[in-house]
Amino acid sequence: MQTTPLAIKATGLKKQFDGTPVLKGVDFELAAGEVHAIVGQNGAGKSTLMKIINGLYQPDEGRIELFGQPVHFATPRDAREGGIAMVYQDLSLVDSMSVAENIFMANWAESHFGLLDQRGMNLQAQELLEQMGIADEIEPTQPVATLSMGQQQFLEIAKAIAQKARILILDEPTASLSNQEIARLFTLIEHLKAQGVAIIYITHYLRDIFKICDSITVLRDGRCVRRVRTADTRIEALLADMLGHHADSSVEWVRPTPAPGMEPLLELRALSTRQLDAVSLRVYPGQVVGLAGLLGSGRTEILNAIFGLDPILSGEVLVNGQPVQIRSPRDAIEQGINLVPEDRREQGLVLDFSVMDNLLMSSLRDLAAPVLLDEQRGQRIAADLIQRLQIKTSGPQQTVRFLSGGNQQKVVIGKCMSASARVLLLDDPTFGIDLAAKLEVMRIVNNYAAAGNAVIFVSSEYGEIASFCDATYIVNRGRITGQMQRHEQSEEQLLAAVQ
Amino acid sequence: MDIAVNAPATAAKKRAIQWNTLLIYIVFVVIFLFFSITLHDKGFLQPGNLMNIARQTAMISIMAVGMTFVLSAAEIDLSFCAIVALSAVTVALLLPHGMIVAVGAALLVGAFCGLVNGLFVSKVGIPSFLVTLGTAGIITGITRWITELQTIPVDNETFAFIFGSGDLGPISVLFVWMVAIAVLGHVLLRKTRFGKEVLASGGNKISAMYSGIQVNRIKLYVLVLNAVLAALAGILYAGRLQSARYTLGENDLMMVIAAVIIGGTSLFGGKGTVAGTMVGALIMGMVNNGLVLMGLNIDQQLIFRGVIIIFSVTLTMGHLRKKH
Repeated sequence: MQTTPLAIKATGLKKQFDGTPVLKGVDFELAAGEVHAIVGQNGAGKSTLMKIINGLYQPDEGRIELFGQPVHFATPRDAREGGIAMVYQDLSLVDSMSVAENIFMANWAESHFGLLDQRGMNLQAQELLEQMGIADEIEPTQPVATLSMGQQQFLEIAKAIAQKARILILDEPTASLSNQEIARLFTLIEHLKAQGVAIIYITHYLRDIFKICDSITVLRDGRCVRRVRTADTRIEALLADMLGHHADSSVEWVRPTPAPGMEPLLELRALSTRQLDAVSLRVYPGQVVGLAGLLGSGRTEILNAIFGLDPILSGEVLVNGQPVQIRSPRDAIEQGINLVPEDRREQGLVLDFSVMDNLLMSSLRDLAAPVLLDEQRGQRIAADLIQRLQIKTSGPQQTVRFLSGGNQQKVVIGKCMSASARVLLLDDPTFGIDLAAKLEVMRIVNNYAAAGNAVIFVSSEYGEIASFCDATYIVNRGRITGQMQRHEQSEEQLLAAVQ
Repeated sequence: MDIAVNAPATAAKKRAIQWNTLLIYIVFVVIFLFFSITLHDKGFLQPGNLMNIARQTAMISIMAVGMTFVLSAAEIDLSFCAIVALSAVTVALLLPHGMIVAVGAALLVGAFCGLVNGLFVSKVGIPSFLVTLGTAGIITGITRWITELQTIPVDNETFAFIFGSGDLGPISVLFVWMVAIAVLGHVLLRKTRFGKEVLASGGNKISAMYSGIQVNRIKLYVLVLNAVLAALAGILYAGRLQSARYTLGENDLMMVIAAVIIGGTSLFGGKGTVAGTMVGALIMGMVNNGLVLMGLNIDQQLIFRGVIIIFSVTLTMGHLRKKH
């Protein structure tokens, strides 16, 4: 049947990091001229598989054939020469340079005397854009800074095509695009497909897969659990494959329901920012409220708006029933609201500071008495947090850079708690930390809520939200599209609801 | 698992860092011993000469204390040398109106220059490197213009005594000024909220902002503080030399920044100590003194000083080079 060799045929790929197996023998096949989706939960092994195909990692075991030829890529450069190009989520374009210059960045067209052949380059770029059917909206001489996000994505693809890519890897290509741009992207993908380019399409947006992909590979726990034609499956079947029947490690988190007539500790009324559209929600004392949504859905933006990072265009934030003005993180902290940000290393910590200095960073105002810092009180607070949160450190003076991810996260949470916050906003606090640390973080948050505080909990793991939160709001493209109470929410339902 | 894998590397890194902070003291002792032996017959170790070193180091170290704050906040100030001259000239010109008026005015002029720097950095968002490069030119131009390139004499004995020329027994008033500013600077950086916020802003301005620290305001404050200390250095120059001239401070840029960096403050912010800066400044003062005693002429001194600065920074900044 198979007349042409497969674009990629990978067999028995294994990869482990520090003794933890991430890929446990994955087979993967990509036919020439097909669009192939790879889906799986966080940690299923998608990105490791892609990094192996892209030459960034080398597999411990297994072999890869490209169009029938066995290959071994030592670097991404090798992979690119082999015809593989990856378009990353965060685009790698130079804003200040023109479209044509970006396309030919890797292989400049030089004329005599080693000077750049600007005109030839523009002509070639024009030809390429025409071939791709996007010449009507992108000019070769246009600076990249003037392109929309979607157009930049097209340009990334054009760059890959200019480098003679026969296999294109698109990583969450629609995450930052408008609906209109998504439609154009799909047209472009069809176009490339017709020209024989094979495309690997990675996404969390399962509905998109049914619009554009020919076949699907589902990964779970480092194994390929299903390979199927899109026409032969449905979204529910995919979800079941992604989740599997994993051992239920979840703990029962029981909290009393708020008394009727109780005032919410935090309330948003029709809050709009540049990314949010009339978001309303309520969090009662002692409650943990979840925000479930895909990457780029607006879940982080809701927290940012409450914390004073994004300007509020309309709507109200109420703390204890009183409207408050929050224009900066400082205002938020003064109102008793604190944020555990998404990126603990870049946004939460000063890595070269000690554990103690990090823990006290939000509460320096309270410690100034009135000129000199009350060091003894600071030490007491830090020692208490280290003990209460069970932060594993050689002492309060240890540099935070040298702690494990889970312990760094606890330091960030401790910092927020030390500033006597009554409302804690947690942005994916369990991301990238091991299971034991995850449970500890949740225990800490649970105790914090039990003391009568309010928590908003964002996570990319829906199982975590389903078992941990008292109520969950569904976020999609900047709006609240649904709400579930504890007894209604399950991982499967949340996963289906966020689509 | 994570912890177990990282543990040996962690311990090694920690040792490397402690070793680096110690190194500056070793450099200090080595240079001191070197001059003590080679310049023994020229009187390097005489108490008079040692007080001389302190006198020569005072202005450098006062400016270096200010620069420690600026670099700790991951900013830079290239205009402070110009402020030194403007402040010296201001105090000298206004002394006939009374000492307090003159000193107050000179400090205010310094604070105003720092405020201009700080507002452009914090409100307009121009990098401090560019702002202070520009204001350095403007301030020097103003100083040259108002003095018409003349030296302004100082004939107020009380002023000269308090601000530079006087001795309390065997101790120069400059030494007292230096110690006082060093102690105040140390307390401000280590023991107050302001100091912690400076270090946090320089260490990671995003985390600092997320922690409720007003990073822009901190930038403004450190530039004002640095300018006021530069103005104080200018006043002390005027008192010690009993005159003021537009060229004052023009050779101090390299020495002040070198003193701070040798003292262990990171050029990229977040790390800095006043104690280290003081040792760095003393190294610079000692080198200057030693080179003069060796009988080198100005050209040779410049060359040697450059070599010694690069040598000391190479030794003490080892951890920074490896990081990137």
